[in-house]
Parts: sequence; structure tokens; C-alpha cells
Amino acid sequence: MSIIKYVLRRTLYLIPVFFGITLLVFTIERLAGDPVQLYTALNPHISEQQRQLLRQSLHLDQLIQVQYLSWLSDLFSFNLGFSFSGGSVATIIAQKIWATLELQLIGLALSLIIAIPIGVLSARRRYSALDVTITSTSLIGTSIPIFFLGVSAILIFGYNLHWFPSGGYESTLPSQYPYGNLILDHLWHLVLPTTVYTFAILAPVVLLVRSSMLEVLRQDYILAARASGLKDRTVIYRHGLRNALIPIVTYVGLYFGGLLAGAPVTETVFNWPGVGRQFVASTTELDFPVIQAVVVIITLMTLVANLITDVTYAYIDPRIRLE
Amino acid sequence: MSQSTKQLQARPRGVSQWALAWRRLKKNKTAIAGLAIVGAFVVMAAFDRLVALYPPKCIVGISPECPSPAFISNGPPSLSHPFGTDITGYDVYSEIVYGARAAFLIGLGATGLAILIAVLIGLVAGNFGGWIDNLLMRVTEVFLVIPFFLLLLVFLQVVLKFSPASTGGLWIVVFVIGAFSWPGAARIIRGEVLKVREFEFIGASRQIGASSSRILFRHLFPNVLHIIIVLLTLQIATSILTEAAVSFLGFGAPGSNTWGQQMYTSSNFIAQAWWATLFPALFVTIMVMGFNLLGNGLRDALDPRLRE
Repeated sequence: MSIIKYVLRRTLYLIPVFFGITLLVFTIERLAGDPVQLYTALNPHISEQQRQLLRQSLHLDQLIQVQYLSWLSDLFSFNLGFSFSGGSVATIIAQKIWATLELQLIGLALSLIIAIPIGVLSARRRYSALDVTITSTSLIGTSIPIFFLGVSAILIFGYNLHWFPSGGYESTLPSQYPYGNLILDHLWHLVLPTTVYTFAILAPVVLLVRSSMLEVLRQDYILAARASGLKDRTVIYRHGLRNALIPIVTYVGLYFGGLLAGAPVTETVFNWPGVGRQFVASTTELDFPVIQAVVVIITLMTLVANLITDVTYAYIDPRIRLE
Repeated sequence: MSQSTKQLQARPRGVSQWALAWRRLKKNKTAIAGLAIVGAFVVMAAFDRLVALYPPKCIVGISPECPSPAFISNGPPSLSHPFGTDITGYDVYSEIVYGARAAFLIGLGATGLAILIAVLIGLVAGNFGGWIDNLLMRVTEVFLVIPFFLLLLVFLQVVLKFSPASTGGLWIVVFVIGAFSWPGAARIIRGEVLKVREFEFIGASRQIGASSSRILFRHLFPNVLHIIIVLLTLQIATSILTEAAVSFLGFGAPGSNTWGQQMYTSSNFIAQAWWATLFPALFVTIMVMGFNLLGNGLRDALDPRLRE
């Protein structure tokens, strides 16, 4: 099968999945009750006539199928609607994206840089004391909830030692900036959340690299490379690691799909003004336009990220196309 | 007749696959550590009244059931309160002990539901193939792609808003976590069924006219059971972790006494009383660790192919 045909087939698969998800999100909103009630909950002085007008402008007087379709067509024309607490949803999300991307991308980069060498080392010294230490530490690491790490870090380095601020994106007053510099101040605020987030996502990557590397080192071509007298370093890094990284590509792909969700728990613990914390706040108020927009955007990104990963696979490894 | 029985008995009996797996598990130190942790929590949950220092929800120094020692709000760890007291004056240690039951309820309840759905979908899709498989796998994909944690928050907020907080709040949380946690496991089970289906003994029993439900439950199911056990153990850890995170963010069942809920009520007073937030979080960590270590040990023990 040619690669173009493969891409087309994968894309066609996505369509029903996407519609399934939009239907699910739409149903949850309607289960929650009358949107007019939710919109006007904060305003007790509103008249019945105004309610009716709102009902009409939101197309709520139409059939439910028509409402779903018009919501979908709004989505496709990038009209994300207005938040119940005022303001356009697109603006609200756009304001939070940068903070989320900062945390997520630094966390991903740091965790890969730390995890890959550790995973490779662990696989090379399989069943040694070092390997056992690394794997059991990683297993314990996957069990530590991020709020435990976050709260401990705030207590120790924020409240007790006063090394870093306990939360927030930057200081409120310019006089609080270290050396009067805004960039330094921001970096200072970044240290704790990124460190905690990196540690939280580190352990699974170490285990993934290790198992993938073990799988590769068992292959015949590694034996062949060794038998032909190549240096150990060359065998491990040129022949082994390159192939062992394929599952890591999948991991990174999936990670990018969920990127925008941010890390709701980390962002809340550190008072970080990202999409994740916004989502938690909007959910508490049942602010459906924001909720739906975030869920649909993340879903679309995940689908696209999956597609790109699949296609990259098919490109790297022709055997996959044959399935 | 008696002669032949004697001969049979004289022959050493073969060891079952499960006994072999248990032997492998016993050799694995981390797995046994996990089993010990889980066992300790079982004891804690079963005999919570004996393990705890004070009765449940007892404001020490004020409530009639626990008149001494003196009332102290956000009191630091001491001899009479090993983990301190929280804002209300509850003994943190005792409340953690009472939270163990809730943790098992969440872990076992949500996991039971998730694995039940996963087993049904995995077995049916893998066994029948064709359009049934195609349909079920597309549905699974929908559930795999959706941002699970975010939708969980929305669902809980909607449901808990409309059902009064009184009774059954925790069951709703358990149900919602379970209803969203099955897709990964369903895929793995289906993959395993596809593999087992090609074994010759399945074809043989089909040849002698075994019904398809017999093949499904008597042949396929026992042969994927080891995978199910591993998935089950690991999913218990994930469910407990998920409930704790959800409750910590304020979306848990209001009246329930879970570790997440304890952290949520205390997290506003971290600067004054870190013990009331950190000790419940520590117990979440230990219990999740126990199930994770056990699950990984079980995987190594039950699937020898992974160990060559």
C-alpha cells in the first residue's frame, strides 16, 4: 500500500471518532440542565422576556439535532462562543496557552534529557544492583501523586527556606523583582513548578526507555554488530538506541496531543495561570462554552498527533504499511 | 482398580501454572514488599477501630466520645496526636486509618467496573472479529482519545451538583472513574485474545463442536486471565490516585472521608498545619506504591515470556 493511501485511510478513521466525541461533550452539557439557567444564574433581576430572547439567540428553541449541528458548524468556523462569566472563549484560552506551553515543553524536554541516559544505563547493566535501584525507584516514582510532590516542594523551598516563591507566574509588584528584572523574576517563579512537573513525568519515561532498549538489544542485528567487532558504544548508541527510541516517538506524540490540557493539578497547586487551572475553575462554575472548547481542542490535537505519529511510523518502518 | 489408583498416586503430581507463578513471585523482593504493604492496609481497613486512636469524626476534647486530651485545632504532631490535628480538631492519624476503607472501596469498586467492561469488550471483539470487532474498537478509540481526567471533573461536577451531597456521593465517584477507565485494558485483552484464538486447541475444540460461548468462557477466558489479574492490580493503583487528585481539586464526594477529601479540606491551611495535608497524601503514595509493586511483580511472575 502506498503511503498516501495509508494516510488517507487513517484520516478516514478519525472522522467517526471525532463525531463520537463531540456528541459525548454535547450530551454532557445538555444533561447538566438548561443553559439559560446557567447563563443567568448570577443575575437575579433578569425578566422572563429577556430569558426568551436569550433562548432564541442561543438557538435553544430549535430541535436538539439542529442545535448540535449549529454548534458543530460554529466550531468549524472557529467560533467558540462566549463564556458564561463574560468574554470570548477564544480570548480566554489564548491568554492561558503560553503559561501552559512553558511548563509542558520545559517539563517534556528536561524529562527526556534525564530519562533517556538513565534508561539506557539501566538496560545495559540489566539485573545489576544499579538496574534494580533504578527500576524500583522509578516504580516508586510512578506512585507518587503530583500534589504530594508539589505541596512538599512549596512547604520546604517556599515557606521554610524562602528560596523560591510558593506559586504564581510573576511577582505582583515590580519592587519584588530580583535585581529589578522581570525575566529573572519569571524564571524564579518557574523553578518549582517545572522541577516538580519534570519529576512527576520522569519515571514512566525511564521505564519505557529501559524496556524498549532491552527489546532491541536482544535482536540479531545487535549480535551481528557486536560480532563484527564494533565498539560497545557504537553498538549501543548507533544501532541500539536509534531503534529503541521508536516507542519514545509514540510517547512524545501522545504527549503533544494532550499538551494543551496542561497539568490541572500542578497548575492548581502552584497557582500557575495556564489552561489546566482555567479548566478547573470553569468546571467548578459549569462554564460550558469554555469546557467544551477545551475538550474539543484537546481531542482534535490528540487525533492529529496520533495521525502524525502513525504516519511517521509508516515512513520510518515500511513493515507497518503492509498490515 | 485399586492397583491403578496406587500407581497414579505414586507418580509425583505436576505443579500447576499458578503454583509456578507463585514460586516466581516469592523470589521477587519488590513484589513481596508490595504484597506486604497491601496486606498491612487490609488489616488497617478491617480493624480500623482498633488501629485508630479515637472514634471516627471525633473532635478531640469536645465530642463526648473522646473528651481527652484538650481540644486543639491544627495542633502539631505530639504523643497523643502522632500526625497532629486538623482545622476541625480531628486526630489526623485516626482519620487516615478510617480513610483506608474508602480507598479500598474506590480501588476495588472502580477497578471492578472498569475491568468488567474491558473483559467483555476485549473477549467479544477479539473472539468474533469482523464488524463487531471494528465497531467495538472504534468506540474504544473514542474513549481512549478523550481527555479522561478533564471529562471526569466535568461529569462529577454535573452529577454531584444535581444529586444532593448526602448519600451515595462516593459511589458516584467510583462509578464515574470505573466507567471511563476501561479502554486501555480492553485493547490489551483483545490483543491477547487474538493471539490465543490462533492456538491449535481452540481450533480443535471448535472441530469437535464446542459452542462459541463454551470456547469464549472455558478456553479463551482462562488463557487471558493472567493478563486480567495484572491489569486489575495496576488499575487499583490508578483508580486510587485518580480519586485523590479529583478530590484534591475539590470535585470529590463532599460527605465522604477519603484521603483526597482530607487533603482538600486541609490544603487551605498548609502554611499553619502541613501535617493535615501531607500525611493523607503520604498514605495515598504508600498504598498506590504497594499495588504498583505487586502488579509489576505479578506481570513478571505470570508472563514468563517477558523474562525470556
